[in-house]
Amino acid sequence: MPERLRQALPSVLSVLLALAVCWSLIALTMTPGTATAAYVEMLWGGIGNWPAWLNGAAATVITRPLGEAAMKAALLTLTGLSVAVAFKVGLFNIGAQGQMILGALAAAVVGAHVSLPAVLHIPAALVAAALAGAAWAGLAALLKLYRGVHEVISTIMLNWVALRLVDNWLVIGPLRGVAEGGQSITGTAEIQATATLPRLLGELSRLNLGFPLALLLAVVVWLWLERTRTGFETRAVGLGAEAARTAGVPVAKRTGVAMALAGAMAGLAGAVLVLGTEGRYPGTLGAPYGFDGIAIALIGNNHPLGAMGAALFFGVLRAGGTRMQLLDVHKSFPELIQGLALLFVAGRMVWLALLRRHEAAASVASVEVPRA
Amino acid sequence: MSLEDASLDVSEGELLAVVGENGAGKTSLMNVLYGLYQPDAGELSVGGQPVRFKSPRDAIARGIGMVHQHFMLVPTLTVAENVVLGREPTRRGLFDLERAISEVAATCARFGFQLEPRARVDTLTVGSQQKVEIVKALHRGAQVLVLDEPTAVLTPQESDELAQVMRGLVAQGRTVVLISHKLKEVLGVADRVAVMRRGRVVAEVRAAETTVGQLANLMVGEGPRHGTEARAPTSLAGLSPAASRVEAIGAALPEAAVPIPGGQVTTGMSALALMGGVPPGAATERPVPSSEGTGPTGTVALAITGGTPLEASSERAPATSAGEALLEASGLQAVGDNGRPALRGVDLTVRAGEIVGIAGVDGNGQRELAEVVTGLRALTSGSGTLLGGPLAGLTPAKARERGVGHVPEDRLRRAVVKALSVEENVALGRHTRPPFARGPWLDFAGRRERTLALLEAYDVRPPDPTLPLARLSGGNQQKVVVARELDAKPRLLVVVQPTRGLDIGAVAHVQAKLREARAHGAGVLLVSLDLEEVLALSDRVYVLFEGRVTGHFTRPDYDERELGRRMLGAGTGHA
Amino acid sequence: MLEVLHALLFSTLDAVPALVFAALGAVLSERAGVVFVGLEGMMRVGAFCAAVAALVMPMSLAVGVGMLAGAALAAVHGFLSIRWRSDQVVSGIALNLVALAGGTFLLESLYGPNGTPALPQAARWDVPGLASVPVLGALSGHSAPTYLALVLPFALQALLTRTPLGLRLRAVGDKPHAVATLGLSVAGLRWGAVLGGGLLAGLGGAVLSTCVLGRFEQHTPAGLGFIALAAMVFGRWTPVGAFLAALFFAFGDALRIGLASSAPGLLEVVPQGMLQALPYVLTLALLTLQGQRSSAPAALGVPYEQESR
Repeated sequence: MPERLRQALPSVLSVLLALAVCWSLIALTMTPGTATAAYVEMLWGGIGNWPAWLNGAAATVITRPLGEAAMKAALLTLTGLSVAVAFKVGLFNIGAQGQMILGALAAAVVGAHVSLPAVLHIPAALVAAALAGAAWAGLAALLKLYRGVHEVISTIMLNWVALRLVDNWLVIGPLRGVAEGGQSITGTAEIQATATLPRLLGELSRLNLGFPLALLLAVVVWLWLERTRTGFETRAVGLGAEAARTAGVPVAKRTGVAMALAGAMAGLAGAVLVLGTEGRYPGTLGAPYGFDGIAIALIGNNHPLGAMGAALFFGVLRAGGTRMQLLDVHKSFPELIQGLALLFVAGRMVWLALLRRHEAAASVASVEVPRA
Repeated sequence: MSLEDASLDVSEGELLAVVGENGAGKTSLMNVLYGLYQPDAGELSVGGQPVRFKSPRDAIARGIGMVHQHFMLVPTLTVAENVVLGREPTRRGLFDLERAISEVAATCARFGFQLEPRARVDTLTVGSQQKVEIVKALHRGAQVLVLDEPTAVLTPQESDELAQVMRGLVAQGRTVVLISHKLKEVLGVADRVAVMRRGRVVAEVRAAETTVGQLANLMVGEGPRHGTEARAPTSLAGLSPAASRVEAIGAALPEAAVPIPGGQVTTGMSALALMGGVPPGAATERPVPSSEGTGPTGTVALAITGGTPLEASSERAPATSAGEALLEASGLQAVGDNGRPALRGVDLTVRAGEIVGIAGVDGNGQRELAEVVTGLRALTSGSGTLLGGPLAGLTPAKARERGVGHVPEDRLRRAVVKALSVEENVALGRHTRPPFARGPWLDFAGRRERTLALLEAYDVRPPDPTLPLARLSGGNQQKVVVARELDAKPRLLVVVQPTRGLDIGAVAHVQAKLREARAHGAGVLLVSLDLEEVLALSDRVYVLFEGRVTGHFTRPDYDERELGRRMLGAGTGHA
Repeated sequence: MLEVLHALLFSTLDAVPALVFAALGAVLSERAGVVFVGLEGMMRVGAFCAAVAALVMPMSLAVGVGMLAGAALAAVHGFLSIRWRSDQVVSGIALNLVALAGGTFLLESLYGPNGTPALPQAARWDVPGLASVPVLGALSGHSAPTYLALVLPFALQALLTRTPLGLRLRAVGDKPHAVATLGLSVAGLRWGAVLGGGLLAGLGGAVLSTCVLGRFEQHTPAGLGFIALAAMVFGRWTPVGAFLAALFFAFGDALRIGLASSAPGLLEVVPQGMLQALPYVLTLALLTLQGQRSSAPAALGVPYEQESR
């Protein structure tokens, strides 16, 4: 079996097992028939209702679901990249959620309160979001490098600081938006049209520029890590910081830059959500895409393209989750599948033991993450 | 690490030493004895009765105690808490600290250890921590005490003290098994010596009837043949065979002749025997197959092609006359990891075309000196010039730019990244320049080509550049490191313990490469705890003691006795 | 003024038990060397199961069900991180995600989107003679968990510092290999600590839904598990320290809620969000000041492998 395939196998098996377990969960609480029907709805809701289209329905039965799936996949790809990049330099970024919140807020503020032509406005809002996320993540890196504070604890704390400050203060206080009639609304002011991410298929779906941007970034991050000097240094720091230092690699700089990059990715996820879908910072960000990023990165084996693949898959499932409601299954059901898949991936050693029962028990690495 | 059909027996009241090269299986054997590993086949008997140890608890119950090479103490607990852990005295269900303290004090008094039971273990010196380990075993009623490389971390004074402790225990009827690769030490203290090689016990000899040279031959696996004695594994040398002969001690205590002191023996143990046998197929399950020197012949072939190092070098004329100064330093001071001064004013010079050795007992500033020169540790005072630039403010990157190569001591921590491939490790540290990089991009083709060439030239096995480095044996990993550093054509090469833990073939190979570098005009700063290695390779030797230079010797005026005195501080007014 | 203080203390003590139990659970597990990031998920499961059980059985039994549920989730954590040496943070995060999504799924399929029906009120006990004493009277009139929360931290502290088991648990968190060479079972000790931590986390969740909130809502426990982790860190991984930190955090929260109703003007100056962020900011500040001299157990988060040292 090729090495790459073997590496991916535990993830694939974990996802399949999660799908099976969740199917039985519906089958037990309802009926097996409902479970199967719900899965079929989830599929059509994610990749488009092809049978309906073949029976003559409008093209939107395909483009709409695909657009929704692509948007969710874009967010998951970006937060997944955030976590994966931090892993590469040896840090466990639990803080993607907080970084995303700040990125979303920055994008919302620049999108609403700065006036620029679209060619400049969109990049400006994206850059602001990336910088905000990078700053929040950079804080954790600084605490780690200069005060020895473990990043798992600091990023958890920073998540809640961001959430409380933004959701419970800024968005309902100083930055609260005002509607046409002078009445205040939930969330920040609407962003201007020039800051809105353009829709790629017009009225056919909500698919916007965020999706290709996310895919592009995944490829760029992968190329950077694998093909460039600084990317190589970053990986070396993650796998053996002391050896990297001895080899002349500026360890603190690589760590700080990688963590800032991780924060920038999460910040961009916030921007794509605000500029592409929400149009403003809503009362609360809703789904915890930052935490999902941990699942996506680990299911994707901490590989940028692996994370992208996992994000595409779960983007489809989660877009399809909406249609499961037709059968009285909660729309967050795909998140349960995703959570279980992560749990099974965490049991990677179990899979490897099962897969290698007949081979020599080589010293296999656990999920490739730094020790907390 | 594995065992194949290893058999061993120890008599009561005997001090048995188990010697062998690294990886010969000494520690594995002792872990089986202590119940940490379960043997695939074979049997273990204590006092004539066959036993099976499922965990250390069983071994402890049968009176076996072990002092591990890496101390098994909980640093945040006190001496007393560490000693009683697992068999704590209680009063009404609560831990009775006062009784623990008095019990431990009693044990210490009985065996003559001076330890403060209330002291936290992390405040103790290494020597005292080791005593805690021994007390821990004795407190559990150990009749057989196994010590795994106990002197590796001790100062010579502490080692002497430990030898007395061991003899004292034997005199009280306890049995001591000493695992070591320091043959001189072993002969000075043991009654009998068992030699292990490749997972087997290949010989057992009485200490009084053997010499370091004979033991060395047994360890390496060759009969007496010309030159092997001098080329024996590095750590066992430093001593002329005659001087290391032990007369008095070994003879004084004949095997199993010491009577059992009344009331001390509980299990009626009279001997401990371990007979091992591993089915042939088991050998394939070793996680890291040793790929270099898979048979004795391979090893020897390498040793010989390595260039009969010692003889060649001792005939060599001193090479110190010429060469520009690559490193000139005066008054170097630096602080160690523990926050205390490690270098207290070191002056030294290294010139092109010479190997300069740093000798000293472990922990006297050698490591910190190497770190200062390679930019890993900041100077607190002093000045120097390194390859045309100041020594102050040096970083590892600047050192590399100026032409410093570095073979660090702790290979897996400092020299290589195990999870990266062999070729990525070859590139590490040189990845910014051709042939490893083109502009900001890595040059995969150039890297592959250079790596293949180096693997061939340095005889790394298997020569697969894509393999994760962790899959190579220790010797081959070290060859990769040496290949990488020498391939950069360093003007100054800093090497620390370059041959520690390597088998004899790899040792010869590495040492030959260092000489080759000197021949090509590089300066080499060699730090080694192995005095024999330092003397064999170096043109000049500085002796470090407590962060100061206490001696400077130039070939051929190497007076080992005087060197030894300087290593212990003579000549500074400190000793 | 005294009345205000009395009211603040009273509501602090009413709200604090869930936080205290959860923080103690985390202390127990982490002192034995197993990271307890899954605390939030264990609380959620405990809260859900206790709330469902409380609809059909006496409250005390229902709380027991919640504890068992927390322990069950902890058992999964133990299986992955002790038996299979998985990364403990990953395992914990996974449990959080599963508990979050699974709780929502089960809640919706059993009771619909509005959460469980309201539960019967927990009985309140007066401490004789204390009710009329100023300020101290705030100790009186709480339900059983409050009193347990005032005692348990000291009991756990005694367990950790004064018993052989406590000595072994601390040793296994600092240097598991030392424990193993003495013939004690590292896995056994860690399993005990993790399951005990799970029981306490489940108790925290159960108390939250049955006594404090009186129901299970879609977002329960809404981050309380993470505040409990902060309390553990703030309390330097000691039971009494975590207890004091929990009291402090709960008092701050009671103060914030009190201000919101009595002096909304003050909240214009110091917004609620800032006050809500305060526990986390303080924990970060403490860690920053402490720097490298962290009081975390030395082997925390490191899977125990016999061969490695």
